[in-house]
Amino acid sequence: MEDSINSIYALKTSVGQEKNVARMLARKVKDSGIEVNAVLVPESLKGYVLVESSSKIDMQNPAFKVPHLRGIVEGKNAITFEEVKRFLKPEPIIASIQKGSIVELVSGPFKGEKAKVVRIDESREEVVLELIEAAVPIPVTVKADQIRIIQKEAD
Amino acid sequence: MSIKACTKCNLITTEERCPVCDIPTSTNWSGLLIIIDPERSDIARELNINIPGEYALRVR
Ligand SMILES: [Zn+2]
Repeated sequence: MEDSINSIYALKTSVGQEKNVARMLARKVKDSGIEVNAVLVPESLKGYVLVESSSKIDMQNPAFKVPHLRGIVEGKNAITFEEVKRFLKPEPIIASIQKGSIVELVSGPFKGEKAKVVRIDESREEVVLELIEAAVPIPVTVKADQIRIIQKEAD
Repeated sequence: MSIKACTKCNLITTEERCPVCDIPTSTNWSGLLIIIDPERSDIARELNINIPGEYALRVR
């Protein structure tokens, strides 16, 4: 890729308001002619929106006065474009799960529980799990987007 | 009226068919990308987006 003058900035938002903040921000920067090329809301990044701009973000600018926008993440560890690419093409989680993978449930009645993958139904995007801490291992079927991989490979 | 996304170009729309690609849209989408200036955006270039607008990051 050619050299870019753009940087990616992370802005903090209230959790659950990411999309609203992004939409309002996009409208306000457009109206005020501020140089922002894109606003990104990755599903996996709770409480943040990412902004692509060639100029430094001035949070004092009225365009950045948006409800639920809490501030900018300062620091020298800038977000690289390589990191952003991961958010752009989210791999379907089901493709990276295998039998024996250890996962954590991220939603539903077993939220927070760890489980082992016993079966994968790719066409329905479902996995059958066995909860690790359950006294009696009962198979639980969930949608692939309800889990997060902790350990991909089976031991 | 629910918000949908094109299964090909990921454009977010309320239409049953994508106004750009003319293929059926899906309600099963996640993530949000707002392209303001496709000419200057590296993200737009990476995803071959030429039209400003709202896009989903993933559509099923
Ligand atoms: Zn389309």
